[in-house]
Amino acid sequence: MLSILAGLLWIAQAAVVAQALGDMLQGQQVQPAVSAILFALLGALRAVLTYRAETLAQTAADAVISGARRAIVLAEAGRTDDNPFGGAGAVAALAGEKLELLGPFLTRYALARARVMVVPLAILVLAFWQSWAVGAILLVAGPLIPVFMALIGLAAKEASARQMAEIGTLNDFLVERLSALVDIRVLGAGDRVMAGFAAQAGDLRARTMAVLRVAFLSSTVLELFAAIGVAMVAVYVGFSLLGTLAFGTWGAPLSPQAGIFLLLLAPEFFQPLRDLAAAWHDKAAADAVLDEVATFSADAGTPLPGRGARVEPLPGPTSVRLLGCCLPSGMVLPDLTIQPGERVAIVGASGAGKTTVLRLIAGLTLPDQGEVQVADQRLSADTADAWRARLGWMPQAPHFLTGSLRANLTLGRLGDLPAALRTAAVDNVALALPRGLNTRLGETGGGLSGGEARRMTLARAILSAPDVILADEPTADLDAATADLVTKGLLAEATRGATLIVATHDPALAARMDRVVDLGGAG
Amino acid sequence: MKHLWPILGLMWRDQRSALMRGAVLMAVVLAMGAALLGLSGWFITAAAAAGLAGAGATFDVFRPSALVRFLALGRAAARYGERLLTHDATLRALESLRLRVLGAHLAASHDRMLHIRGAQALNRLTADIDALDGLPLRLALPLLSGLAVLAIGLAAFWALAGPILATWIIGGYALGALLIARNAVGRMLPLSRRAEIAAQAFRVRLIDMIRARGDLAVYGQLEKQAQSVQSAEDRRLDLRTTLNEAERRAGMKLSFLATLVASGALGLGLAAAQAGTLPPALGAMAFFVSLALAEVLAPLRRALSDLGRMVDAARRVGRDLSARPPASGADHDAPGGLIVSELALTRPGARAPLVVDLSLTVQPGETVALTGPSGSGKSTLLLALAGLHEPTAGRILLGRVPIGDWTEAGLRRALTLLPQRSTLMAGSVAEALALSGADGEADHWAALRAVQLDKVIEAKGGLTARLGPRGSGLSGGEAQRLALARALLRHPKVLLLDEPTEGMDDATARAVLTGIRAFLPKAAILIAAHRPAEIDQADRIVAL
Repeated sequence: MLSILAGLLWIAQAAVVAQALGDMLQGQQVQPAVSAILFALLGALRAVLTYRAETLAQTAADAVISGARRAIVLAEAGRTDDNPFGGAGAVAALAGEKLELLGPFLTRYALARARVMVVPLAILVLAFWQSWAVGAILLVAGPLIPVFMALIGLAAKEASARQMAEIGTLNDFLVERLSALVDIRVLGAGDRVMAGFAAQAGDLRARTMAVLRVAFLSSTVLELFAAIGVAMVAVYVGFSLLGTLAFGTWGAPLSPQAGIFLLLLAPEFFQPLRDLAAAWHDKAAADAVLDEVATFSADAGTPLPGRGARVEPLPGPTSVRLLGCCLPSGMVLPDLTIQPGERVAIVGASGAGKTTVLRLIAGLTLPDQGEVQVADQRLSADTADAWRARLGWMPQAPHFLTGSLRANLTLGRLGDLPAALRTAAVDNVALALPRGLNTRLGETGGGLSGGEARRMTLARAILSAPDVILADEPTADLDAATADLVTKGLLAEATRGATLIVATHDPALAARMDRVVDLGGAG
Repeated sequence: MKHLWPILGLMWRDQRSALMRGAVLMAVVLAMGAALLGLSGWFITAAAAAGLAGAGATFDVFRPSALVRFLALGRAAARYGERLLTHDATLRALESLRLRVLGAHLAASHDRMLHIRGAQALNRLTADIDALDGLPLRLALPLLSGLAVLAIGLAAFWALAGPILATWIIGGYALGALLIARNAVGRMLPLSRRAEIAAQAFRVRLIDMIRARGDLAVYGQLEKQAQSVQSAEDRRLDLRTTLNEAERRAGMKLSFLATLVASGALGLGLAAAQAGTLPPALGAMAFFVSLALAEVLAPLRRALSDLGRMVDAARRVGRDLSARPPASGADHDAPGGLIVSELALTRPGARAPLVVDLSLTVQPGETVALTGPSGSGKSTLLLALAGLHEPTAGRILLGRVPIGDWTEAGLRRALTLLPQRSTLMAGSVAEALALSGADGEADHWAALRAVQLDKVIEAKGGLTARLGPRGSGLSGGEAQRLALARALLRHPKVLLLDEPTEGMDDATARAVLTGIRAFLPKAAILIAAHRPAEIDQADRIVAL
């Protein structure tokens, strides 16, 4: 609304200018200062209105984007499986940069659309009122524009999609080469790779330019029509004022005021259309993002039982029972009862459901059928958080959070950290790190080797002296010496009285447990 | 701001003519736009004056009206050319920037190479380069062409309408825009940097939350992590709101400026015309041109809003680009294998040394296995031998010459390392092998046979079979063997292998190791071994 009003204010500004210049030409005395101040005041009002309109649009856009972002974070925190939409990086890219692309669409495009509905129409009416010929020129040039706009919109959408894809490809080229830097270096292939990259980039540029040539041609047509429209208005007005042309007005000849007025209005007639065309890219980009958001939301996933918050531990004995549980594949798991303090190995071929059993016991998934009983009660969304407060957890693939090693090990819990590090045989590793426990870990593990990282997750698991330790393939990919250290650490915890449940391929580890549960062949 | 200069300098150096063409045409478009509106205004006012004076018949209408049409059509055409040229310039600049980034990283330290391989670092880098794409198109070229048009405008006004109007219009625009931009930049740059940090925190925390979702849930930290993700977003939103507010204010001020200059031109023009010092038509023209020159300000606002991101990106990319190329040395062709004496190694960033006082030799034709538990320094030693890790003490001689005295190219010709995790790239099998520099089909097949991969590749359709990104389409063991074949094709005098049979079954591993020796009978081979197959085939064992 405000944006439309701002657009219409120009008409008033044009009237002031036209009146002043016309009066001056007709030899009447004009007050230059009055005209200038009036023009400036109207212009200032217009700037303020535009600013207000932009503020409103921006606030609305921020609310939309922030809301979408919050929804993504909540969706990801509330599910227990990975979204088929993509990995963590893809989700973060969607929630981060990609949602930002909605901003220009919601602010620029929406405002331009509002103006295009009203401002050209108002100018057209005024033009007809002054001179039907000028109105006719605008009318002919005007409606052609939406037709071209539709064509351009289609062309631009396709072109921008192709261009985005190609620039994306160039980035992919670069990313792949950067990922393989070490290999390129040791193969002495730096010059070959650079030459190949330059050739690919050049080729890509040539193809992109071919697309852009067409895309720009269609928008040039729009500009051309606007330019011809303005030029025709100018020429018509000029000839009328000279008296050469005597048609096109309602009786009386065109006054200088009206002529100048019309000339000032003509570009403004086309401007909203041009703004809209310029914002078309924003719309194309936003549409692509909205498609992705729809894909993301299409799969609600399996909700996580409980909130994943820290609560009082569940009271009762540390018994664990699986009764009639099923795998997602439909395969029925054998019933399983584990006594407090027992050491159990769960073995079976890949895909037999070893990890699923651990996730069921940890309350990370609830069974579709059957039930899991812990501490003599049914494990449900209500008891999951409290039960998990008694667990130590060693995942198969550790992911360290961005933060210090200490924060990664304690995760907000109290406990005897030096003792946990000793049991996991990583106290020396922690000491050797450049800043000890304050070393910052990130995606690349902050300099820990695979075996060291595994032992760190053991230290993390046993820190709070848990009643039950769940370990998924704790010795996979480790050399014999390191595997032995991890096994000893786990057994030391069992000696303390903790229940130990390991899913493993490793016969040496399985042999050191009290009992082996075989889930059988591939599921 | 100072961070932008080196990047701009690079783009300028690489793509001078393309950028120049773009800037010139941009200025032409602006100038023609101003001339069009000015001429139209002049034409109508002059025509009206002539009409009122009854001199309509003698007024020369054809030249001005033809010029109006020419400017209108010419401007549209120039605009087309300008968009093509500036986009071409941008694409070229973007291309050369990527090339330079790649080149700089190829010369970076091994640590840096590993760091940049991480998904987050890669993402960061590509986002930075994308931000810099706009540097010429949205900042440098519009600014340059805008200044040029203002200068032309100053001269034209001075000649046509006198110094007062010229100074008012051009001086007003130039000075006003400068003040507004200075003020806005001072306010927005620090905010933009902080907003970027918050956005990055949001990203990192969200990725952490998704990757470690199970761990966080078990340890009761998931809810807290979700809150910390949200708090980063809230902070970003706060900063962004302030930033957008500043941008809109700058936009409003620019709009005020345009109004002020135009209204001043109107007042001055009217006054001069009434005083008789200026023909009325020229007074009107001054006003119309001053309106059209507001177009010069339009890109400024967009540039202001992108400037923060660009400066931030330029700072990081500039740091990467300043990496020094490897030191040069001389080429050597001395015979002999690898001699290591009294070597000490420290892991990057670590305090305690990893390996001390290590001496070993590998003669041509000999295979030596390095053994030791994981983390004992096998990989670091191989990196040091390949010149990718600086030892803290001791000497490494290759062909009796210290490896530091070799040129990079010479060293790579004489010595090849197969790193623990080799990375393949998308492309055909032949392209993957050609990275070694050998592109004969017979050579390729011979190397594939040596690593027991010939049948696998034949089954996939031969050397032209396509591999997906990062070599997808091959199993872990197959990818490892392809990387191995690529290393063999270098025909090195010294071959360093880091756990080369990872992901292969025992029979394949043994056959591959035999194949390597048969392919390179005279090479000195050093294997960081972690399984019996690798240790059994060695002539000697060195335990770390």
